[in-house]
Amino acid sequence: MSRTALYIAGRLAGAAATILVGALLVFVVMKAAPGDPALSVLGENARPEAVAAFRHKYHLDEPLVGQFLYWLGGLLRGDFGRSLTIAGGIPISELVAARLPITAFVGLYAIAIAVAVSLTMGTIAALYRGRAADTVATSVAVLGISMPDFWLSYVLVFAFALGWRLFPAYGFTSPVDSVSAALYSGFLPAVAIAAPMAAVFARMLRTSLLEAAAKEYVVVARSFGFTPRFVFRNYIFRNALIPYVTVIGLQVRYLLGGVVVIERIFGIQGLGSLAVDAAFARDYPTVQACTVIFLGVVLTVNVVVDLACAALDPRRSL
Amino acid sequence: MTGTSRSRYGHVLRSLTGSTTALIGAGISLLVLVAILPGAALMPYGPNEADFFNLLSPPSLAHPFGTDSFGRDVLTRVLYGARVSLVVSGAGVLQAALLGTAAGMTAAYKGGYADMLLMRTADLLFAFPAFVLALFLMVVLGFGTVNVVLAIALIYFPIFARLARNMTMLVREEPYVQAARLMAQSTPRILGREILPNIAAPLIVQATIGVAFGIIIEAGLSFLGVGVQPPTPSLGVIMADGREYFQRGPWVLTLTGLAISIALLGLNLFGDGLRDLMDPRLRQRVEQ
Repeated sequence: MSRTALYIAGRLAGAAATILVGALLVFVVMKAAPGDPALSVLGENARPEAVAAFRHKYHLDEPLVGQFLYWLGGLLRGDFGRSLTIAGGIPISELVAARLPITAFVGLYAIAIAVAVSLTMGTIAALYRGRAADTVATSVAVLGISMPDFWLSYVLVFAFALGWRLFPAYGFTSPVDSVSAALYSGFLPAVAIAAPMAAVFARMLRTSLLEAAAKEYVVVARSFGFTPRFVFRNYIFRNALIPYVTVIGLQVRYLLGGVVVIERIFGIQGLGSLAVDAAFARDYPTVQACTVIFLGVVLTVNVVVDLACAALDPRRSL
Repeated sequence: MTGTSRSRYGHVLRSLTGSTTALIGAGISLLVLVAILPGAALMPYGPNEADFFNLLSPPSLAHPFGTDSFGRDVLTRVLYGARVSLVVSGAGVLQAALLGTAAGMTAAYKGGYADMLLMRTADLLFAFPAFVLALFLMVVLGFGTVNVVLAIALIYFPIFARLARNMTMLVREEPYVQAARLMAQSTPRILGREILPNIAAPLIVQATIGVAFGIIIEAGLSFLGVGVQPPTPSLGVIMADGREYFQRGPWVLTLTGLAISIALLGLNLFGDGLRDLMDPRLRQRVEQ
């Protein structure tokens, strides 16, 4: 095996271990919490036999270790089990298959907007450092991280959906049905999620562009008589991209957190709202499945970011 | 080495007057503090004082932020709510800062299994989306103010632990630490008297920014109904209220969020300015 393949294998094994410990942690904590899924489905006054039958059906009457191992065995076969309460008896993999594309679409949409905005803002701020354009871009960026994203959602709805009626205020068309309708109905939620991210990205890009511009190799390149455009593109920008890409990867965590709230506000039937509903209804296996997916996404993105940085920076070894 | 560190903070304090960002941030933060601490008590209304002849009246001179569906003055509620949110966020970040710093410093100084265990725990907590972690925690522990504090503390614990560990690694082998070790000083004394003063600056900056984000987390949890519970006015509770009648009285939600944004803008500018002043690399370039 090549060194890169070995490295990736090692990182993925570490990620799998982290997911396992994380899932175990969530399992233990959820079990320790008050609330009984049997009672939440059958009602507080359910007959004891019905409760016992429900528990038996979903293996809730077995010892905790057995329950976890049973769940783990299913997971290794790619089976998340069945939903307990929110979608009684439906395989969770079906729920996930319906909702994952929606959240992935909105998330990627938001990242695309954030990247487009921050590349422009960050570059302008760095090029016109200390001038009016820099002050404006930097101030807008600080404002961007100071606004609660759920509040921004309502302001956007107020202005662009209720006021000017440019976009729908509520509801979302799945990209599986129509990509253009998804792009249209997902615009406001994506902007609400993107705003704080764009602010963070732009600040990072400005700082790293300025840092790269002060390096010796830039002075050397200039002394060779390369054009400013060439120096910027090949020496300054490329080096500044490394911390920029790293920050995009780190923000995926916040993105998944923000999605949870924004999906509820806009009535998007995504993975975030599934996780919240499942947690409220004590739907343990669904919460577990969402945990595994969230952790899986975050950890995979970490590995991808490190690989991308290694590709951008030949000096760095894996 | 407290002498050196004292003069370092002296430098920061002196140059604070030279940094526009930090000054503007400090100014806004101070204004907000004055508004919510003595200011709230000076308002002619109480936070839960209902006026049934003035239900959902739009912003006016008598009610700059309008009134809500019970005729309560929204500005008064925001000022009182900001106290609650600030205390909740501050308490959470303070807990995380104390425990995280202690854990991170000990791990870095002792090394070995303790270090590995702490860092793996921090990594695990770090892999969870912060808000999802907070939500799960609220569902498990139950809704309420105290548990919001715990959720914020849990989110910030790995951040402080990591920061304190990395900073301790940097100064661990400095001559003054070795000297203290040669004088047979106890580990807690070395950590507290020699290392802590020299790594405090970035921790303080992190805490400032942490309080700002803690307020957003509190607002988000209470907004979803799992955080601070009404009738206690917190910023999130007021906004959740405003969401109910957003179409008929949009000012409740909109102006409350605007007030939060301005307050956090102040805190963030202050934190940014402080960080620039305390980062020797950036300071050098500014002075060149």
